[in-house]
Amino acid sequence: MAMGLLDEAWIGLRAVADRFEDLAHPTLRLGVTGLARSGKTIFTTALVHALMRGGRLPVFEAMNAGRIAGARLAPQPDDAVPRFPYEDHLASLASARDWPSSTTRISELRLEVSYAPVRGGTRRLTLDLVDYPGEWLLDLPLLDMSYADFSRQALELARAPARLPYAGALLAALGAHPPAAPADESAARELAAIFTAYLAACRGERVGMSLLPPGRFLMPGDLEGSPALTFAPLDLQDGAALPAGSLGAMMERRFQSYKSAVVRPFFRDHFARLDRQIVLVDALSALNAGPAALADLERALDSILVAFRVGRNTLVSALLRPRIEKVLFAATKADHLHRASHDRLEAILRRLVERALARAQEGGARIDVAALAAIRATREAEVSKGGRNIAAIIGTPEAGQEAGGQVFDGSEDVALFPGELPANPDALFAADGAAFRGLASGPDSEADFRFLRFRPPAGIGPAGPLPHIRLDRALQFLLGDRLS
Amino acid sequence: MADPRNDRHRPENTRPQVFRLDEAGIVVTEAPAPTEEADEIVAPAPPARRRGFSLGAVFWTALGGLASLGIGLAVTRLIEDLFAQTQALGYLGVALAGLLAVSVLAIIGREVAGLMRFSSLDSIRERAVLALATDDRPLAEAVTHDLLGIAKEMPALARARGDLSSHLGAIIDGADLVRLTERTLMAPLDARARQLVSDTAKRVSVVTAVSPRAVVDLLFVLYSAFVLIRRLAELYGGRPGALGMLRLVRHVLSHLAVTGGMAAGDTLVQELVGSGIAARLSARLGEGVVNGLLTARLGLAAIAVTRPLPFTALPAPRVADVAAGLMKKAQEEEVRPQLGSRRAGKAEGE
Repeated sequence: MAMGLLDEAWIGLRAVADRFEDLAHPTLRLGVTGLARSGKTIFTTALVHALMRGGRLPVFEAMNAGRIAGARLAPQPDDAVPRFPYEDHLASLASARDWPSSTTRISELRLEVSYAPVRGGTRRLTLDLVDYPGEWLLDLPLLDMSYADFSRQALELARAPARLPYAGALLAALGAHPPAAPADESAARELAAIFTAYLAACRGERVGMSLLPPGRFLMPGDLEGSPALTFAPLDLQDGAALPAGSLGAMMERRFQSYKSAVVRPFFRDHFARLDRQIVLVDALSALNAGPAALADLERALDSILVAFRVGRNTLVSALLRPRIEKVLFAATKADHLHRASHDRLEAILRRLVERALARAQEGGARIDVAALAAIRATREAEVSKGGRNIAAIIGTPEAGQEAGGQVFDGSEDVALFPGELPANPDALFAADGAAFRGLASGPDSEADFRFLRFRPPAGIGPAGPLPHIRLDRALQFLLGDRLS
Repeated sequence: MADPRNDRHRPENTRPQVFRLDEAGIVVTEAPAPTEEADEIVAPAPPARRRGFSLGAVFWTALGGLASLGIGLAVTRLIEDLFAQTQALGYLGVALAGLLAVSVLAIIGREVAGLMRFSSLDSIRERAVLALATDDRPLAEAVTHDLLGIAKEMPALARARGDLSSHLGAIIDGADLVRLTERTLMAPLDARARQLVSDTAKRVSVVTAVSPRAVVDLLFVLYSAFVLIRRLAELYGGRPGALGMLRLVRHVLSHLAVTGGMAAGDTLVQELVGSGIAARLSARLGEGVVNGLLTARLGLAAIAVTRPLPFTALPAPRVADVAAGLMKKAQEEEVRPQLGSRRAGKAEGE
């Protein structure tokens, strides 16, 4: 990751300060990493709820043995960042049976867990969590790119067959605005708007693309309309210099200031100093959409995960530039599958992140892969039809979801068999892009997989435990050793 | 899709399907899918012992046959003689002989049941090891079910059993489930097993230190070890009869032979120092400590053999855990004679 010398020094300084703070109050910085709609907010809410209210967490040893005395929300370190609205999320889950709306800005939460170590006594562990729009993660790979690289990659992606139907307006507008044309603010605004519309179209449920940088175009936060966000890739000629005062030169300058004013501070303040990381991956949406979406997800994950320093700490690195020592790769929304398929989902995730896994293992980090659902929205059932038993799940699809020619109204329970995952994940990654059929490639009735979006489960109260799948395993892996 | 090559992977029954719950022609059973019994998974069997025609077997069979024939003949003769004497005595003899037969059958039945239970515990342990290694969910569930069945007879585990069975419906992976079972069911038993071993070791060391003759402490050590093994087996759910005990003792001794060397490695220094000091102070005390340590080690081997789950989530007890009291006791006792002897020495010197 190309960071300026100043940034590196800043990170080092903060790391040293952290170590001193750790001596007084042991602190764990848990990085919840995941693209948009992968379930970061839900996971964070469920984690906080589990630590504060307990619940059925047999595999989480500290909780099961009753060694966790309690957890409370503590004032967070940065006063300038909003607090993670845990109570609001919980209320919308419990009372309205709605998932929290997608995250539009960054928020922080600090949790103080008081626990009894195995040897007795009482100790306190401070847990720092950050929630942010997943789109912004897509900016991390930009740090290593020049404007020419960015333009080339963006246009190459736009011309790929899966995205071409949505890129018509963008390609036409780029044809009308050569890079050497004189700089024009209204042209820049027009191009940025068309580019944003194209990015937004590519993430629809039927297309399911993931690699859609720059992230702030889709989720601008409070920077909407600022010059740093008013740029677009241009159809640059290889090696041709951009004359001063041209549209291309203006775009390049804005791209650079986007990196320095937006991306770098975000990375420096929130990702450079993590102790543990959970990478949430929603593989099911990509399976829903088709092979192109799955390949895109693989590429996006790979480019993002390169940005994190993972491995065992040495004495020096622990002090100046801590590495992430434990990484959990989690396939979220495991409740959309019957338990018999969870192992296959795990295998698919392993295949999706295989390069990041190999890097982490090489660095000496401890890793684990799990299929989990931080909040479980379905029940399992066996449907017998015509003498055949089908392992299905029962849940309430969100209003407007459709499958098998039916449109659901959001109040009725249905049983769903979402399609059989292959035993060998490589079957999904065939090079010809026709390994399976998704919504993107034809009529719905032809798709090989159909994962509906379900509403949160009925009957959960703000004080009661939340149903989950393997959240306890995730907690045990991420926190277990620090609580023993 | 029109493209026919896309149909190469997907048979019709793997395609997604949606059912309304009140749809005609389907039956929805809303329960966790039945756990398949892990029949097809076979633990790696140890190489089978060569079965064949052995002289020893012939000898024992022949001898046993002759002995039972002799006993049968003797009893028959006795009863005939009794009938010849008086009718009433004859009937009494028949009744007593019948009682004898019934009780022999009952004893044999109990022994067989004990042996079967013993091997079922062994098989649970083997399957647990396999489930831990392969993270196999059905296998781990079967192990937990079996252990819950055994725990039913232990009133002290009622609460733990309730906790564990309430977790069985949840989605937990194989290795995690075995660890959870171990933490829930074995932790209370482990504490008691540790106490048993530690108490026995202490008793042995004290008796050895004060016993007047070597024969007495030898007998006492043997007796204590035997009782300890038996009580540990009972604690962990086994019900060894005489034959079961024989087999158990053999297992414990072979386990001790295998692990003895390693265990000696990690506590050797401590033991040498501990027993060395004690031995220099008093040969009797030193013998006591050594015998106590031996008993402790035997107890640990017995725990390893009788515990139905391997130690994974919980730490295995070490000699230092169960012999800590022993050392302390020995040292306390050392201090007094030491003080006395030094004073005496001084007095002599002055």
